[in-house]
Amino acid sequence: MREELVWQDEEAPQRASVAGVVLEFIGGLTLLLVASVRGLLAGRKEWREMLHQMAFIGATSAPIVVLTSAFTGAVITLYSASLLVRVGGGSFVGGATALAMARELAPILTGIMVTARCGSAIAAQLGTMKITEQIDALRALAVSPVQYLVVPRLIAGLLMFPLLGAIANFAGVLGGGVVATAFEISPFTYLRSIQLFVEPFDFIGGLIKTLVFALIIIMVSCHQGLSARGGAVGVGHATTRAVVLSMVLVFIANYFLADALFARR
Amino acid sequence: MKTNSTDAILVKSLVYAVNGTTILKGVDFRAAYGEIVGIMGASGSGKTTLLKCIAGLLRPTAGEVWIEGVNIAPLSEREKMPLRLRLGIVFQYAALFDYMTVYENVAFGLERHRRLPRSEIARIVKERLAWVGLEGVEHLYPSQLSGGMRKRVGLARALALDPHIVLFDEPTSGLDPVNAYQIDRLIHRLNRELGLTAVVVSHDVTSLFRTTDRIVVIDSGQIVEEGTPEAIRQSEHPKVQAFLRMASTESLEEQAGI
Ligand SMILES: Nc1ncnc2c1ncn2[C@@H]1O[C@H](COP(=O)(O)OP(=O)(O)O)[C@@H](O)[C@H]1O
Ligand SMILES: [Mg+2]
Repeated sequence: MREELVWQDEEAPQRASVAGVVLEFIGGLTLLLVASVRGLLAGRKEWREMLHQMAFIGATSAPIVVLTSAFTGAVITLYSASLLVRVGGGSFVGGATALAMARELAPILTGIMVTARCGSAIAAQLGTMKITEQIDALRALAVSPVQYLVVPRLIAGLLMFPLLGAIANFAGVLGGGVVATAFEISPFTYLRSIQLFVEPFDFIGGLIKTLVFALIIIMVSCHQGLSARGGAVGVGHATTRAVVLSMVLVFIANYFLADALFARR
Repeated sequence: MKTNSTDAILVKSLVYAVNGTTILKGVDFRAAYGEIVGIMGASGSGKTTLLKCIAGLLRPTAGEVWIEGVNIAPLSEREKMPLRLRLGIVFQYAALFDYMTVYENVAFGLERHRRLPRSEIARIVKERLAWVGLEGVEHLYPSQLSGGMRKRVGLARALALDPHIVLFDEPTSGLDPVNAYQIDRLIHRLNRELGLTAVVVSHDVTSLFRTTDRIVVIDSGQIVEEGTPEAIRQSEHPKVQAFLRMASTESLEEQAGI
Protein backbone atom coordinates (compact mmCIF):
# COMPACT_ATOMS: atom_id res chain seq x y z
CA MET A 1 0.00 0.00 0.00
CA ARG A 2 1.17 3.48 -0.84
CA GLU A 3 1.68 5.71 2.20
CA GLU A 4 1.24 9.30 1.18
CA LEU A 5 2.39 12.39 2.95
CA VAL A 6 -0.86 14.26 2.51
CA TRP A 7 -3.65 15.20 4.88
CA GLN A 8 -5.93 12.20 5.43
CA ASP A 9 -9.60 12.73 6.10
CA GLU A 10 -9.78 9.29 7.64
CA GLU A 11 -9.49 8.86 11.36
CA ALA A 12 -5.86 8.85 12.42
CA PRO A 13 -4.70 5.99 14.62
CA GLN A 14 -4.30 6.77 18.31
CA ARG A 15 -0.75 7.29 19.55
CA ALA A 16 0.24 5.92 22.91
CA SER A 17 3.33 7.99 23.76
CA VAL A 18 3.53 11.72 24.42
CA ALA A 19 6.18 12.12 21.71
CA GLY A 20 3.86 10.31 19.31
CA VAL A 21 1.00 12.65 20.14
CA VAL A 22 3.17 15.75 19.68
CA LEU A 23 4.57 14.49 16.38
CA GLU A 24 1.08 13.57 15.24
CA PHE A 25 -0.14 17.08 16.10
CA ILE A 26 2.69 18.90 14.32
CA GLY A 27 2.60 16.52 11.35
CA GLY A 28 -1.19 16.61 11.04
CA LEU A 29 -1.31 20.39 11.33
CA THR A 30 1.40 20.81 8.70
CA LEU A 31 -0.29 18.43 6.28
CA LEU A 32 -3.64 20.16 6.81
CA LEU A 33 -1.99 23.53 6.18
CA VAL A 34 -0.41 22.26 2.95
CA ALA A 35 -3.74 20.80 1.81
CA SER A 36 -5.51 24.07 2.67
CA VAL A 37 -3.02 26.27 0.83
CA ARG A 38 -3.31 23.98 -2.16
CA GLY A 39 -7.09 24.18 -1.94
CA LEU A 40 -6.89 27.94 -1.57
CA LEU A 41 -4.88 28.35 -4.74
CA ALA A 42 -6.76 25.85 -6.85
CA GLY A 43 -10.08 24.19 -6.56
CA ARG A 44 -13.68 25.17 -6.13
CA LYS A 45 -14.31 28.25 -4.01
CA GLU A 46 -17.20 27.88 -1.60
CA TRP A 47 -18.29 31.50 -1.73
CA ARG A 48 -21.43 31.05 0.33
CA GLU A 49 -19.65 29.26 3.11
CA MET A 50 -16.90 31.91 2.99
CA LEU A 51 -19.30 34.85 3.29
CA HIS A 52 -21.07 33.04 6.09
CA GLN A 53 -17.79 32.57 7.95
CA MET A 54 -16.73 36.17 7.34
CA ALA A 55 -19.97 37.35 8.85
CA PHE A 56 -19.53 34.93 11.73
CA ILE A 57 -15.92 35.84 12.52
CA GLY A 58 -16.30 39.54 11.81
CA ALA A 59 -19.74 40.40 13.09
CA THR A 60 -19.84 38.24 16.18
CA SER A 61 -16.33 39.19 17.30
CA ALA A 62 -16.43 42.92 16.56
CA PRO A 63 -18.45 44.05 19.63
CA ILE A 64 -16.35 42.06 22.08
CA VAL A 65 -13.10 43.19 20.41
CA VAL A 66 -14.25 46.83 20.62
CA LEU A 67 -15.23 46.49 24.25
CA THR A 68 -12.06 44.78 25.48
CA SER A 69 -9.79 47.04 23.42
CA ALA A 70 -11.48 50.22 24.60
CA PHE A 71 -11.05 49.24 28.24
CA THR A 72 -7.49 48.07 27.67
CA GLY A 73 -6.62 51.38 25.98
CA ALA A 74 -8.29 53.14 28.90
CA VAL A 75 -6.34 51.28 31.58
CA ILE A 76 -2.99 51.78 29.79
CA THR A 77 -3.74 55.49 29.64
CA LEU A 78 -4.76 55.49 33.27
CA TYR A 79 -1.33 54.22 34.35
CA SER A 80 0.78 56.15 31.85
CA ALA A 81 -1.08 59.43 32.39
CA SER A 82 -0.92 59.28 36.19
CA LEU A 83 2.85 58.80 35.91
CA LEU A 84 3.67 61.07 33.01
CA VAL A 85 1.49 64.02 34.05
CA ARG A 86 3.30 64.08 37.40
CA VAL A 87 6.65 64.64 35.63
CA GLY A 88 5.16 67.01 33.09
CA GLY A 89 5.10 64.50 30.25
CA GLY A 90 1.41 64.73 29.42
CA SER A 91 2.27 65.13 25.76
CA PHE A 92 3.66 61.56 25.68
CA VAL A 93 0.43 59.91 26.82
CA GLY A 94 -1.30 59.56 23.44
CA GLY A 95 1.82 58.15 21.83
CA ALA A 96 2.34 55.61 24.59
CA THR A 97 -1.21 54.31 24.38
CA ALA A 98 -1.35 54.20 20.60
CA LEU A 99 2.05 52.52 20.34
CA ALA A 100 1.12 49.83 22.86
CA MET A 101 -2.18 49.23 21.10
CA ALA A 102 -0.76 49.13 17.58
CA ARG A 103 2.21 46.88 18.24
CA GLU A 104 0.94 44.57 20.95
CA LEU A 105 -2.49 44.94 22.44
CA ALA A 106 -4.74 45.24 19.41
CA PRO A 107 -3.36 42.11 17.70
CA ILE A 108 -3.23 40.07 20.91
CA LEU A 109 -6.70 41.10 22.05
CA THR A 110 -8.09 40.29 18.62
CA GLY A 111 -6.42 36.89 18.77
CA ILE A 112 -7.73 36.10 22.24
CA MET A 113 -11.27 37.25 21.58
CA VAL A 114 -11.62 35.50 18.24
CA THR A 115 -10.18 32.29 19.69
CA ALA A 116 -12.71 32.40 22.49
CA ARG A 117 -15.55 33.32 20.21
CA CYS A 118 -14.82 31.52 16.93
CA GLY A 119 -11.95 29.08 17.44
CA SER A 120 -14.04 27.16 19.94
CA ALA A 121 -17.11 27.28 17.69
CA ILE A 122 -15.12 26.02 14.68
CA ALA A 123 -13.66 23.11 16.66
CA ALA A 124 -17.06 22.22 18.09
CA GLN A 125 -18.82 22.35 14.74
CA LEU A 126 -16.20 20.37 12.81
CA GLY A 127 -15.83 17.94 15.73
CA THR A 128 -19.58 17.31 15.79
CA MET A 129 -19.60 16.81 12.04
CA LYS A 130 -16.75 14.34 12.42
CA ILE A 131 -18.33 12.16 15.08
CA THR A 132 -21.79 12.18 13.46
CA GLU A 133 -20.29 10.98 10.14
CA GLN A 134 -21.14 14.25 8.37
CA ILE A 135 -17.48 14.51 7.32
CA ASP A 136 -17.74 11.01 5.83
CA ALA A 137 -21.00 12.07 4.16
CA LEU A 138 -19.17 14.99 2.53
CA ARG A 139 -16.46 12.68 1.25
CA ALA A 140 -19.05 10.19 0.02
CA LEU A 141 -20.58 13.02 -2.03
CA ALA A 142 -17.11 13.63 -3.53
CA VAL A 143 -16.66 16.91 -1.67
CA SER A 144 -13.34 17.48 0.07
CA PRO A 145 -13.81 18.50 3.73
CA VAL A 146 -10.67 20.64 3.46
CA GLN A 147 -11.99 22.45 0.41
CA TYR A 148 -15.50 22.86 1.77
CA LEU A 149 -14.85 23.53 5.46
CA VAL A 150 -11.25 24.59 6.09
CA VAL A 151 -10.45 26.81 3.10
CA PRO A 152 -13.46 29.15 3.50
CA ARG A 153 -12.71 29.56 7.21
CA LEU A 154 -9.07 30.29 6.48
CA ILE A 155 -9.89 32.91 3.84
CA ALA A 156 -12.53 34.46 6.11
CA GLY A 157 -10.01 34.57 8.97
CA LEU A 158 -7.25 36.12 6.86
CA LEU A 159 -9.66 38.82 5.66
CA MET A 160 -11.41 39.58 8.94
CA PHE A 161 -8.53 39.49 11.42
CA PRO A 162 -6.71 42.61 10.10
CA LEU A 163 -10.06 44.39 9.99
CA LEU A 164 -10.78 43.44 13.59
CA GLY A 165 -7.21 44.45 14.50
CA ALA A 166 -7.78 47.88 12.97
CA ILE A 167 -11.05 48.25 14.84
CA ALA A 168 -9.29 47.22 18.06
CA ASN A 169 -6.68 49.94 17.51
CA PHE A 170 -9.33 52.54 16.97
CA ALA A 171 -11.33 51.47 20.03
CA GLY A 172 -8.21 51.37 22.22
CA VAL A 173 -7.07 54.85 21.22
CA LEU A 174 -10.59 56.15 21.73
CA GLY A 175 -10.86 54.54 25.17
CA GLY A 176 -7.47 56.02 26.07
CA GLY A 177 -8.55 59.43 24.81
CA VAL A 178 -11.55 59.48 27.11
CA VAL A 179 -9.40 58.69 30.13
CA ALA A 180 -6.78 61.25 29.02
CA THR A 181 -9.32 64.06 29.25
CA ALA A 182 -9.75 63.18 32.92
CA PHE A 183 -6.06 64.02 33.35
CA GLU A 184 -6.60 67.32 31.59
CA ILE A 185 -4.84 66.20 28.42
CA SER A 186 -6.76 67.77 25.57
CA PRO A 187 -7.85 65.66 22.59
CA PHE A 188 -5.59 67.84 20.46
CA THR A 189 -2.50 67.06 22.60
CA TYR A 190 -3.46 63.40 22.68
CA LEU A 191 -3.75 63.14 18.89
CA ARG A 192 -0.65 65.27 18.31
CA SER A 193 1.30 62.90 20.53
CA ILE A 194 0.10 59.91 18.50
CA GLN A 195 1.16 61.70 15.32
CA LEU A 196 4.62 62.35 16.74
CA PHE A 197 5.42 58.98 18.24
CA VAL A 198 3.61 56.40 16.14
CA GLU A 199 4.72 55.50 12.64
CA PRO A 200 2.54 53.83 10.03
CA PHE A 201 4.69 50.73 10.29
CA ASP A 202 3.73 50.26 13.95
CA PHE A 203 0.16 49.93 12.78
CA ILE A 204 0.99 47.80 9.72
CA GLY A 205 3.27 45.52 11.75
CA GLY A 206 0.40 44.94 14.16
CA LEU A 207 -1.86 43.97 11.31
CA ILE A 208 0.79 41.57 9.98
CA LYS A 209 0.69 39.94 13.41
CA THR A 210 -3.08 39.47 13.15
CA LEU A 211 -2.62 37.66 9.83
CA VAL A 212 -0.25 35.17 11.43
CA PHE A 213 -2.62 34.77 14.40
CA ALA A 214 -5.51 34.12 12.00
CA LEU A 215 -3.51 31.36 10.33
CA ILE A 216 -2.67 29.78 13.71
CA ILE A 217 -6.15 29.99 15.23
CA ILE A 218 -8.13 28.85 12.21
CA MET A 219 -5.77 25.99 11.34
CA VAL A 220 -5.47 24.72 14.93
CA SER A 221 -9.24 24.89 15.46
CA CYS A 222 -10.03 23.14 12.18
CA HIS A 223 -7.37 20.51 12.85
CA GLN A 224 -8.68 19.78 16.33
CA GLY A 225 -12.26 19.59 15.07
CA LEU A 226 -11.41 17.24 12.21
CA SER A 227 -9.36 15.00 14.54
CA ALA A 228 -12.13 14.68 17.14
CA ARG A 229 -13.13 11.15 18.07
CA GLY A 230 -15.47 9.52 20.50
CA GLY A 231 -18.77 11.09 21.44
CA ALA A 232 -19.79 14.42 22.91
CA VAL A 233 -16.85 14.16 25.31
CA GLY A 234 -14.49 13.93 22.34
CA VAL A 235 -15.94 17.13 20.89
CA GLY A 236 -15.50 18.81 24.27
CA HIS A 237 -11.84 17.77 24.39
CA ALA A 238 -11.28 18.98 20.83
CA THR A 239 -12.82 22.36 21.66
CA THR A 240 -10.77 22.83 24.81
CA ARG A 241 -7.58 21.79 23.05
CA ALA A 242 -8.31 24.12 20.13
CA VAL A 243 -8.61 27.11 22.48
CA VAL A 244 -5.61 26.25 24.67
CA LEU A 245 -3.29 25.36 21.77
CA SER A 246 -4.33 28.42 19.76
CA MET A 247 -3.64 30.72 22.71
CA VAL A 248 -0.27 29.21 23.53
CA LEU A 249 0.86 29.27 19.90
CA VAL A 250 -0.39 32.85 19.47
CA PHE A 251 1.64 34.05 22.45
CA ILE A 252 4.75 32.19 21.27
CA ALA A 253 4.35 33.52 17.73
CA ASN A 254 3.78 37.00 19.13
CA TYR A 255 7.20 37.03 20.75
CA PHE A 256 8.99 36.05 17.56
CA LEU A 257 6.94 38.45 15.47
CA ALA A 258 7.72 41.30 17.87
CA ASP A 259 11.38 40.41 17.58
CA ALA A 260 11.26 40.28 13.79
CA LEU A 261 9.05 43.32 13.22
CA PHE A 262 9.82 45.82 15.95
CA ALA A 263 12.89 44.90 18.01
CA ARG A 264 15.42 46.49 15.66
CA ARG A 265 13.55 49.71 15.09
CA MET B 1 -12.62 -15.31 -7.21
CA LYS B 2 -11.76 -13.24 -10.24
CA THR B 3 -13.00 -9.91 -11.50
CA ASN B 4 -15.79 -10.50 -13.83
CA SER B 5 -17.85 -8.01 -15.69
CA THR B 6 -20.99 -8.91 -13.79
CA ASP B 7 -19.47 -7.85 -10.46
CA ALA B 8 -20.40 -4.38 -9.33
CA ILE B 9 -18.36 -4.92 -6.18
CA LEU B 10 -15.56 -7.39 -5.62
CA VAL B 11 -13.62 -7.48 -2.36
CA LYS B 12 -10.59 -9.75 -2.08
CA SER B 13 -8.82 -10.75 1.16
CA LEU B 14 -9.61 -7.42 2.76
CA VAL B 15 -7.77 -6.68 5.98
CA TYR B 16 -8.41 -3.59 8.06
CA ALA B 17 -6.40 -2.96 11.20
CA VAL B 18 -6.34 0.12 13.40
CA ASN B 19 -4.80 0.87 16.78
CA GLY B 20 -3.34 -2.62 17.06
CA THR B 21 -6.62 -4.48 16.53
CA THR B 22 -7.48 -6.24 13.30
CA ILE B 23 -11.14 -5.48 12.64
CA LEU B 24 -11.45 -7.21 9.25
CA LYS B 25 -9.44 -10.42 8.89
CA GLY B 26 -9.34 -11.28 5.19
CA VAL B 27 -12.86 -10.67 3.92
CA ASP B 28 -13.96 -11.85 0.46
CA PHE B 29 -17.19 -10.38 -0.83
CA ARG B 30 -18.92 -9.78 -4.13
CA ALA B 31 -22.10 -8.21 -5.39
CA ALA B 32 -23.31 -8.68 -8.96
CA TYR B 33 -24.99 -5.88 -10.88
CA GLY B 34 -28.60 -5.53 -9.86
CA GLU B 35 -28.23 -7.75 -6.83
CA ILE B 36 -29.33 -6.96 -3.28
CA VAL B 37 -26.74 -8.43 -0.93
CA GLY B 38 -27.17 -8.46 2.82
CA ILE B 39 -24.31 -8.40 5.32
CA MET B 40 -25.57 -9.86 8.57
CA GLY B 41 -23.73 -9.83 11.86
CA ALA B 42 -23.85 -8.84 15.49
CA SER B 43 -22.85 -5.36 16.66
CA GLY B 44 -19.10 -4.92 16.60
CA SER B 45 -18.54 -7.65 14.03
CA GLY B 46 -17.08 -5.15 11.54
CA LYS B 47 -20.06 -4.44 9.26
CA THR B 48 -19.70 -0.67 9.19
CA THR B 49 -15.94 -0.95 8.72
CA LEU B 50 -16.47 -3.26 5.73
CA LEU B 51 -19.03 -0.89 4.25
CA LYS B 52 -16.71 2.10 4.63
CA CYS B 53 -13.87 0.20 2.99
CA ILE B 54 -16.16 -0.57 0.04
CA ALA B 55 -17.19 3.10 -0.11
CA GLY B 56 -13.52 4.11 -0.12
CA LEU B 57 -13.92 6.07 3.12
CA LEU B 58 -11.40 3.87 4.92
CA ARG B 59 -8.12 2.73 3.44
CA PRO B 60 -7.69 -1.04 3.75
CA THR B 61 -4.53 -2.32 5.41
CA ALA B 62 -4.33 -5.06 2.79
CA GLY B 63 -6.47 -6.55 0.06
CA GLU B 64 -8.37 -5.31 -2.96
CA VAL B 65 -11.67 -3.47 -3.37
CA TRP B 66 -12.93 -3.46 -6.96
CA ILE B 67 -15.80 -1.12 -7.74
CA GLU B 68 -17.13 -1.55 -11.28
CA GLY B 69 -13.77 -2.89 -12.41
CA VAL B 70 -11.51 -0.37 -10.64
CA ASN B 71 -9.42 -1.34 -7.62
CA ILE B 72 -9.86 1.60 -5.26
CA ALA B 73 -7.76 0.22 -2.40
CA PRO B 74 -4.44 1.80 -3.47
CA LEU B 75 -5.95 5.06 -4.77
CA SER B 76 -5.43 8.42 -3.10
CA GLU B 77 -8.34 10.50 -1.82
CA ARG B 78 -8.05 12.74 -4.87
CA GLU B 79 -8.11 9.79 -7.28
CA LYS B 80 -11.12 8.30 -5.52
CA MET B 81 -13.22 11.48 -5.75
CA PRO B 82 -14.68 10.91 -9.25
CA LEU B 83 -15.34 7.24 -8.45
CA ARG B 84 -17.39 8.21 -5.41
CA LEU B 85 -20.17 9.47 -7.67
CA ARG B 86 -20.90 5.91 -8.81
CA LEU B 87 -21.66 4.88 -5.30
CA GLY B 88 -24.12 6.22 -2.74
CA ILE B 89 -24.03 5.52 0.97
CA VAL B 90 -26.81 5.82 3.53
CA PHE B 91 -25.30 6.17 6.98
CA GLN B 92 -26.62 4.47 10.09
CA TYR B 93 -27.72 7.73 11.70
CA ALA B 94 -28.35 9.37 8.30
CA ALA B 95 -25.48 11.87 8.83
CA LEU B 96 -27.55 14.69 7.35
CA PHE B 97 -25.86 18.10 7.33
CA ASP B 98 -27.61 19.48 10.39
CA TYR B 99 -27.23 23.16 9.50
CA MET B 100 -28.94 22.69 6.14
CA THR B 101 -32.57 22.16 5.24
CA VAL B 102 -33.77 18.91 3.69
CA TYR B 103 -33.73 20.62 0.29
CA GLU B 104 -30.14 21.83 0.69
CA ASN B 105 -29.05 18.38 1.85
CA VAL B 106 -30.42 16.66 -1.25
CA ALA B 107 -29.25 19.44 -3.59
CA PHE B 108 -25.73 19.53 -2.08
CA GLY B 109 -24.07 17.03 -4.43
CA LEU B 110 -25.98 18.26 -7.48
CA GLU B 111 -24.86 21.85 -6.97
CA ARG B 112 -21.24 20.73 -6.84
CA HIS B 113 -21.04 18.09 -9.53
CA ARG B 114 -23.66 18.93 -12.12
CA ARG B 115 -23.90 22.10 -14.13
CA LEU B 116 -27.63 22.45 -13.98
CA PRO B 117 -29.99 25.41 -13.82
CA ARG B 118 -31.65 26.07 -10.49
CA SER B 119 -35.04 24.90 -11.71
CA GLU B 120 -33.64 21.57 -12.87
CA ILE B 121 -31.97 21.00 -9.50
CA ALA B 122 -35.25 21.81 -7.79
CA ARG B 123 -37.02 19.30 -10.01
CA ILE B 124 -34.51 16.53 -9.24
CA VAL B 125 -34.65 17.21 -5.51
CA LYS B 126 -38.44 17.07 -5.54
CA GLU B 127 -38.37 13.87 -7.56
CA ARG B 128 -35.87 12.10 -5.28
CA LEU B 129 -37.87 13.12 -2.22
CA ALA B 130 -41.00 11.76 -3.89
CA TRP B 131 -39.20 8.47 -4.59
CA VAL B 132 -38.56 8.01 -0.88
CA GLY B 133 -42.10 9.06 -0.04
CA LEU B 134 -41.39 12.51 1.35
CA GLU B 135 -43.26 15.57 0.19
CA GLY B 136 -43.55 19.05 1.63
CA VAL B 137 -40.58 18.70 4.00
CA GLU B 138 -38.03 20.57 1.86
CA HIS B 139 -37.81 23.55 4.18
CA LEU B 140 -37.44 21.55 7.41
CA TYR B 141 -34.16 20.99 9.25
CA PRO B 142 -32.96 17.46 10.14
CA SER B 143 -33.66 18.07 13.84
CA GLN B 144 -37.33 18.56 12.98
CA LEU B 145 -37.62 15.10 11.39
CA SER B 146 -38.31 11.66 12.84
CA GLY B 147 -35.67 8.91 12.62
CA GLY B 148 -37.40 7.20 9.70
CA MET B 149 -37.76 10.46 7.77
CA ARG B 150 -34.10 11.27 8.35
CA LYS B 151 -33.03 7.95 6.87
CA ARG B 152 -35.23 8.57 3.87
CA VAL B 153 -33.71 12.02 3.35
CA GLY B 154 -30.29 10.36 3.62
CA LEU B 155 -31.38 7.95 0.88
CA ALA B 156 -32.73 10.78 -1.29
CA ARG B 157 -29.39 12.59 -0.88
CA ALA B 158 -27.48 9.43 -1.88
CA LEU B 159 -29.74 8.97 -4.91
CA ALA B 160 -29.44 12.56 -6.13
CA LEU B 161 -26.36 11.87 -8.23
CA ASP B 162 -27.71 8.68 -9.86
CA PRO B 163 -25.33 6.16 -8.29
CA HIS B 164 -25.18 2.62 -9.66
CA ILE B 165 -24.56 1.13 -6.25
CA VAL B 166 -26.11 2.11 -2.91
CA LEU B 167 -24.70 0.98 0.44
CA PHE B 168 -27.05 0.94 3.41
CA ASP B 169 -25.70 0.92 6.97
CA GLU B 170 -28.40 -0.47 9.26
CA PRO B 171 -31.29 1.07 7.31
CA THR B 172 -33.93 -0.26 9.69
CA SER B 173 -32.22 -0.08 13.06
CA GLY B 174 -34.00 2.14 15.53
CA LEU B 175 -37.19 2.17 13.45
CA ASP B 176 -40.62 0.83 14.38
CA PRO B 177 -41.84 -2.16 12.32
CA VAL B 178 -44.02 -0.01 10.05
CA ASN B 179 -41.18 2.35 9.15
CA ALA B 180 -38.75 -0.55 8.83
CA TYR B 181 -41.13 -2.29 6.43
CA GLN B 182 -41.44 0.85 4.32
CA ILE B 183 -37.67 1.24 4.08
CA ASP B 184 -37.31 -2.39 3.03
CA ARG B 185 -39.96 -1.93 0.35
CA LEU B 186 -38.15 1.17 -0.82
CA ILE B 187 -34.84 -0.67 -1.21
CA HIS B 188 -36.60 -3.44 -3.07
CA ARG B 189 -38.41 -1.02 -5.39
CA LEU B 190 -35.27 0.98 -6.20
CA ASN B 191 -33.54 -2.26 -7.07
CA ARG B 192 -36.36 -3.49 -9.31
CA GLU B 193 -37.18 -0.17 -10.99
CA LEU B 194 -33.74 1.45 -11.33
CA GLY B 195 -31.62 -1.68 -11.39
CA LEU B 196 -29.56 -0.43 -8.44
CA THR B 197 -27.06 -2.74 -6.85
CA ALA B 198 -27.65 -2.62 -3.11
CA VAL B 199 -25.58 -3.74 -0.14
CA VAL B 200 -27.56 -3.79 3.08
CA VAL B 201 -25.68 -4.10 6.34
CA SER B 202 -27.87 -5.04 9.26
CA HIS B 203 -28.39 -7.11 12.37
CA ASP B 204 -32.14 -7.10 11.63
CA VAL B 205 -32.74 -10.70 10.51
CA THR B 206 -36.39 -10.18 9.51
CA SER B 207 -35.51 -7.22 7.33
CA LEU B 208 -32.61 -8.98 5.60
CA PHE B 209 -34.60 -12.15 4.90
CA ARG B 210 -37.37 -10.31 3.14
CA THR B 211 -35.23 -7.78 1.24
CA THR B 212 -32.11 -9.49 -0.05
CA ASP B 213 -31.20 -11.92 -2.83
CA ARG B 214 -28.16 -13.21 -0.98
CA ILE B 215 -26.78 -12.88 2.54
CA VAL B 216 -23.25 -13.09 3.89
CA VAL B 217 -22.80 -13.57 7.61
CA ILE B 218 -19.89 -11.80 9.26
CA ASP B 219 -18.53 -12.65 12.68
CA SER B 220 -15.53 -10.96 14.34
CA GLY B 221 -14.28 -9.61 11.02
CA GLN B 222 -14.61 -12.88 9.08
CA ILE B 223 -17.23 -14.13 6.65
CA VAL B 224 -18.56 -17.36 8.15
CA GLU B 225 -21.46 -18.21 5.84
CA GLU B 226 -22.99 -17.14 2.57
CA GLY B 227 -26.11 -18.07 0.61
CA THR B 228 -29.68 -17.24 -0.28
CA PRO B 229 -31.93 -16.23 2.62
CA GLU B 230 -33.42 -19.74 2.49
CA ALA B 231 -29.97 -21.38 2.65
CA ILE B 232 -28.93 -19.14 5.55
CA ARG B 233 -32.07 -20.15 7.42
CA GLN B 234 -31.08 -23.82 6.98
CA SER B 235 -27.41 -23.21 7.74
CA GLU B 236 -25.64 -25.70 9.96
CA HIS B 237 -22.96 -23.23 10.99
CA PRO B 238 -23.09 -22.88 14.78
CA LYS B 239 -22.50 -19.08 14.74
CA VAL B 240 -25.32 -18.58 12.24
CA GLN B 241 -27.67 -20.85 14.15
CA ALA B 242 -26.93 -19.07 17.41
CA PHE B 243 -27.51 -15.69 15.77
CA LEU B 244 -30.79 -16.73 14.16
CA ARG B 245 -32.02 -18.41 17.33
CA MET B 246 -31.50 -15.25 19.31
CA ALA B 247 -33.37 -13.23 16.70
CA SER B 248 -36.28 -15.66 16.55
CA THR B 249 -39.69 -14.98 17.99
CA GLU B 250 -39.88 -18.15 20.04
CA SER B 251 -40.34 -17.55 23.72
CA LEU B 252 -37.31 -17.88 25.95
CA GLU B 253 -38.76 -21.09 27.47
CA GLU B 254 -39.05 -22.72 24.05
CA GLN B 255 -35.51 -21.67 23.17
CA ALA B 256 -34.14 -23.13 26.38
CA GLY B 257 -35.66 -26.47 25.37
CA ILE B 258 -33.63 -26.69 22.16
N1 LIG C 1 -11.08 3.56 15.07
C1 LIG C 1 -11.21 2.43 15.76
N2 LIG C 1 -10.30 2.10 16.69
C2 LIG C 1 -10.41 0.95 17.38
N3 LIG C 1 -11.42 0.08 17.23
C3 LIG C 1 -12.36 0.35 16.33
C4 LIG C 1 -12.32 1.54 15.53
N4 LIG C 1 -13.40 1.54 14.73
C5 LIG C 1 -14.08 0.41 15.00
N5 LIG C 1 -13.46 -0.31 15.96
C6 LIG C 1 -13.89 -1.61 16.49
O1 LIG C 1 -14.09 -2.48 15.41
C7 LIG C 1 -15.18 -3.33 15.64
C8 LIG C 1 -16.13 -3.30 14.47
O2 LIG C 1 -16.73 -2.02 14.38
P1 LIG C 1 -17.92 -1.75 13.35
O3 LIG C 1 -17.44 -2.00 11.98
O4 LIG C 1 -18.45 -0.40 13.65
O5 LIG C 1 -18.98 -2.86 13.76
P2 LIG C 1 -20.52 -2.99 13.41
O6 LIG C 1 -20.87 -1.96 12.41
O7 LIG C 1 -20.67 -4.40 12.89
O8 LIG C 1 -21.28 -2.83 14.68
C9 LIG C 1 -15.80 -2.88 16.95
O9 LIG C 1 -15.42 -3.81 17.94
C10 LIG C 1 -15.20 -1.55 17.21
O10 LIG C 1 -15.03 -1.34 18.58
MG1 LIG D 1 -22.22 -0.39 12.54
